[in-house]
Amino acid sequence: MISHKDPIHILLADDDEDDRNFFSEAIAELKMSNRVTLFKDGKELMEYLNQPEIKTPHILFLDLNMPGKTGFDCLKEIRTNSKFKELSIAIYSTSSSEKDIEETFVGGANIYIKKPNDFSKLKKVIKDVVNINWQFHSSGLNKETFFFSI
Amino acid sequence: MKSLRLYKHAQVFKIALGIAIIVIGYIASVFYSKMQKLDDSVELIATSNQTQLELEKLLSIISNYETSLRSYIITKDESYLKDRFLNRGEIELNIRKLKKLTSHSPEVTKDLDSLKVMFNRRFDLFRETLTIAKAKNIDKNELNTKLLESTAYTNRMREAVYRRINSEAKKLRDLNNTHQFELEDSIISAFLLVILSLLILLLSFNKVNVDIDELKKANDELQFLNLSFNNAEKIAGFGHWKVNLETNTYTFSDNYYRLLGVEPHAFEPNLENATKYIHPDDLEYVMQTHQDSLVNHESTSIVSRFLPENGETKYFRIVGSFTHNSKGQLVKVGVNYDITDLYKKTVELEENNKELQAINDELESFNNIVSHDLQEPLRKIQMFISRLEDDDGGGLSDQGKDYFTKIRTAANRMQTLMMDLVNYTRTIKGDKTFVKTNLNSLLDQILLDLALNIEEKNASVTIGNLPTIQTIPFQIEQLFINLITNSLKYSKEDVAPEISITAEKITEKETYQDIDLTDKKYHKIVVSDNGIGFRQEYAEKIFVLFQRLETDAKYSGTGLGLAICKKIVENHNGCIKVRSKPNVGTQFSIYFPKNA
Repeated sequence: MISHKDPIHILLADDDEDDRNFFSEAIAELKMSNRVTLFKDGKELMEYLNQPEIKTPHILFLDLNMPGKTGFDCLKEIRTNSKFKELSIAIYSTSSSEKDIEETFVGGANIYIKKPNDFSKLKKVIKDVVNINWQFHSSGLNKETFFFSI
Repeated sequence: MKSLRLYKHAQVFKIALGIAIIVIGYIASVFYSKMQKLDDSVELIATSNQTQLELEKLLSIISNYETSLRSYIITKDESYLKDRFLNRGEIELNIRKLKKLTSHSPEVTKDLDSLKVMFNRRFDLFRETLTIAKAKNIDKNELNTKLLESTAYTNRMREAVYRRINSEAKKLRDLNNTHQFELEDSIISAFLLVILSLLILLLSFNKVNVDIDELKKANDELQFLNLSFNNAEKIAGFGHWKVNLETNTYTFSDNYYRLLGVEPHAFEPNLENATKYIHPDDLEYVMQTHQDSLVNHESTSIVSRFLPENGETKYFRIVGSFTHNSKGQLVKVGVNYDITDLYKKTVELEENNKELQAINDELESFNNIVSHDLQEPLRKIQMFISRLEDDDGGGLSDQGKDYFTKIRTAANRMQTLMMDLVNYTRTIKGDKTFVKTNLNSLLDQILLDLALNIEEKNASVTIGNLPTIQTIPFQIEQLFINLITNSLKYSKEDVAPEISITAEKITEKETYQDIDLTDKKYHKIVVSDNGIGFRQEYAEKIFVLFQRLETDAKYSGTGLGLAICKKIVENHNGCIKVRSKPNVGTQFSIYFPKNA
């Protein structure tokens, strides 16, 4: 469990403005005591993360298909930097192709979420992901539990 | 095999002939020595006869002499005495003759010497008798005494001569016996010799005849083989060539010339004439390969263009390898195939393949568009609808809310359709990697994934003991998901769905499109439900793309699900059949090959 002394810091990198809005609205409706930072592409995300003196956020929701620096690029950069080893990464994508799931699993993502087509489902996903016992989830990491079914 | 037998035959024959010649030689030499001996004995017999004759002649001379003397004594006629010196000379001559005849036998010579002494003494007696008889006063007593003495002496002499004659006669008898025996021996030898020679002659003649027959047969076969080979070359469109690397001579088959558009043996078979027909652009490569092979003695296989007399460019595959001929000389033997048609077809095929690849790529990108780019806006539509509905219609009228429900249904349907389309195209595409799969563990996972839907329908799913088979896992997963969701979808409204998935033994004769489905060759897996079912006459139709039986809105479907199932089973070299009864239920039987 993430310590609730600190407000949970959630990041979302998604080039689709509507999706960013859905996301922040869902979090607002969940009334969780957490902080959300949104990025409109991979470049912006990495610039933020690469600032010195920054406190590592808790969870990153990462879209794969973004212009310029894609989600795959970001995943690779983050996982090669030991500074972010505590950062949990949830892939957040429209695609559910085997290829993408396989690649991100190997690339070191913690969970794979297919973007829901229903707002209530979106809220449930965010709630469930935030409340996951990440330590437990990561230690028992396997391909079956990697794909998060709603 | 046959030649080996012939060869062995010849060896045996040679040995037999050798033995026969030795035997004949032996018998001939025996015969010769016999003849030699026979000759000797004939000579001996002749000598013996002569000896007898001469001896008797001696006696008769003495007798003559005696008679003449007596006649003189009685008649006193001197004419009776006129031959007396002549007779004496004759006896000397006879004895010399006899000595010469019997020179080889010392015993006879000794006898003759004593005979000669006796003869001399006898002549002395003659002279003494004659002296007495010629006297004026014949002393009759003395003459009588002398005559008696002479007669006695003559008798002694006669005895001695006859002794000698008898011994010669005995010798002659012995010789005759031996001669008879040797003569018989020689006849047998000669007869044997003739018979054996005749036998060998006959055997040889027979052997030669048989050999000639076989040789002729072999020759005929060879000629026929040659003819067949020539025809085969003509029909199959290849020609062969030989290069004797020691004598540097070239041999080209008839069809080799024909392939170059000329009559057989139209040109002198040599390298220069052969290379004239090679396409100038390929010449260097062909020659280089050939020369290299002459150094390293490795087989070659190349394709080259040729320019036959009729002008049309041909593609030949040239294959060559090295061997030794019967004289132990190194020979490169090769074959030229006319592969022009094949080459053109291959090129055509390659082009078609490229085109197909391009179409496949397009299909792939179409797939991506459907699975990603088209879903994106659709998902957003669905999101916005859900937002609106959550907001309690956002101040919409009841009719407006109703419309939104319809929009949502349509959008959901569109999403399902797109997913099904993607799944269907995925079953068509290549990527077929078979993995050993335990169907029980696969179905456990599927039931977990479908848990919500199953719970929603209050359904019960029974899974029997299923086999482990070779599958393309994601496809088989799709197959069972489709069949189970199908059963859930077409369930009766008032009855809880009961679905069972079991493996069954094939006990009755079952066929599918003339293929016998035997238990030995196929696994049979049955998925059955207690749903609404359908009339058996639609059994074929339900597997056809976009064919739907139910038009009622509550049974929403795309008409792709079962078509996908069929495709998947076919991808596994199996088949799927269905039996159904309206209001009773449906039973899908899936057959997977056991050895796959």
